[in-house]
Amino acid sequence: MNVTSCMKHNVVSIHIKTTIREAANIFVKKHIGLLPVVDDDDKPVGVIGMRDMLTLELPDFVTFLADVDFVHDFGAVEDIHPSAKTLNKTVQTLMKPAVTVEEDCGLLRAYALLIQHNQHDMPVVSKEGKLMGITSRVDIGTAILSTWFKADK
Amino acid sequence: MTVVPAIISSSIFFGSLILIFSERLNRAITAIAGAALMVALGRILGFYSEEAALEAIDFNTLGLLLGMMILVAMLEPTGFFQYLAVLAARSSKGNPTRLFILLGVITTILSMFLDNVTTVVLIAPVTILICEIVGISALPFLVSEALLSNTGGVATLVGDPPNVLIGSAAGFSFNDFLIYSMPIVLVSWAGALFLLKYLFKKELSKRPRSVKAIMRLNPAETLNEPLIARRILIVLGGAVLFFFVHHALHISPSMVALGAAAIALVWVQPNIEEVLKRIEWSVLIFFGALFVMVGGLEHAGVMEAIVGLLEQASVVPPVLFGVGLIWVVAALSAVVDNVPITIALIPVIKGLGESGMDITPLWWALAFGAGFGGSGTIIGSTANIIVTTLSEKTRAPITAKLWSKRGLPVMLVTCAIASILYLIAFRWM
Repeated sequence: MNVTSCMKHNVVSIHIKTTIREAANIFVKKHIGLLPVVDDDDKPVGVIGMRDMLTLELPDFVTFLADVDFVHDFGAVEDIHPSAKTLNKTVQTLMKPAVTVEEDCGLLRAYALLIQHNQHDMPVVSKEGKLMGITSRVDIGTAILSTWFKADK
Repeated sequence: MTVVPAIISSSIFFGSLILIFSERLNRAITAIAGAALMVALGRILGFYSEEAALEAIDFNTLGLLLGMMILVAMLEPTGFFQYLAVLAARSSKGNPTRLFILLGVITTILSMFLDNVTTVVLIAPVTILICEIVGISALPFLVSEALLSNTGGVATLVGDPPNVLIGSAAGFSFNDFLIYSMPIVLVSWAGALFLLKYLFKKELSKRPRSVKAIMRLNPAETLNEPLIARRILIVLGGAVLFFFVHHALHISPSMVALGAAAIALVWVQPNIEEVLKRIEWSVLIFFGALFVMVGGLEHAGVMEAIVGLLEQASVVPPVLFGVGLIWVVAALSAVVDNVPITIALIPVIKGLGESGMDITPLWWALAFGAGFGGSGTIIGSTANIIVTTLSEKTRAPITAKLWSKRGLPVMLVTCAIASILYLIAFRWM
């Protein structure tokens, strides 16, 4: 079984010139956690995740701390929202390199890649590199689990 | 001195320094390569040997650094540093100026006994958090923490790697530093703090937006391992007491530090792999390899030649010579790592001593110059580089231009205060 068997086909993606504001709108409307960013040829050039978006609200300094258990109230951070200038920048300034798999990739390899790169979702591309769909830990995981019951029969 | 070994060894040393300064190659890698080349060419040309290279390594310095690194590596995960910063935040009640002074004092005291880099690495992230919560810019706090730890570290034998080197080479005890260095450093430090308060007065006069959240920070929850923290602090306190009497008891500082590290390891029994991972091996290797390189320069007769040149200048009274040294070393340390400068100047000063000059004041001049000079530029000390890197994750990154307006004045003022006090203190010696 390969990764196309468990991917979502109607994938929502954004063009590289999309603004951060428009991207935020899509995240909210579609209730998703990852947006592949594509160029004019529909090839994924990066991804933008919920976490990347939220660094604009809560900068990454929290990762330098061993823990934040002792912080009960983030105080002034709560009222800081990204400025209009930030929101009007393109997603290119915020996106991360895309971790993708080709359509013939096996399930376990796809799962291993997700773990290795600490991702939850991953775009699937055709042999020509075009965006075909998107798959997630849950998609791949449930596909793997379902094979256990087939073996029982 | 024969000319060929002198040229070859100087080329290796200065070539390595250029590679380090230009950041073309990692400093530890450069130092190892340079040391290996120095020994190899030294053997071929007959000016250096493997035995001489080993002898050139100052194991007292390495032992002291390693011992203190082990103690800090064990203290780090206990959350003690966050605890101190949160206490400071609460007692400041969100007043930016009070928070500024409290964090500055904590950073300074810590960097007097621990490595500056470690202090800043541990205090800076929680500083950013506190500033974000209060709703003020972290920038003045980060810049000041680096500058004040650069300055404060000069006060003690263990506060700063150049001091460890100088103490070991000159045979100065922990108490010598308290008598000769600390008073001058304290006055310079106070000058630096006042200057910084003035330079950042616009940022510090901003009203904090969220004082209530600061008071809700719970210091007790910052301590992940209170028992372990207590044990390590007891051992660290014991080590400091031993530092006071190490000279009288004829124990080297490295013995005190390594002994304390051994006691702490046995008492706490941490996961040793985790502790060793947090030791900055690259720093120790860098030091060791630099010793080997400078040993090569010495054996090739380069140091003798420099001493010969400097002797011409010895018509100048040693104290004025010392003031000159403060400024030259400070200028060099602002653009270059102060460790190679110190390691290279030690044999020169020793040589001047052998030629009959009173070198005690010169050692202190070297310590002040190397310590205060690092404040001058954004790359002047590792602490500066660390706060700059961390600030890139905040809303207000530190820039080189900003550093030249805030750091450079601090370097100039601390050097000027040190020069005046130095003249007064050493005039009669």
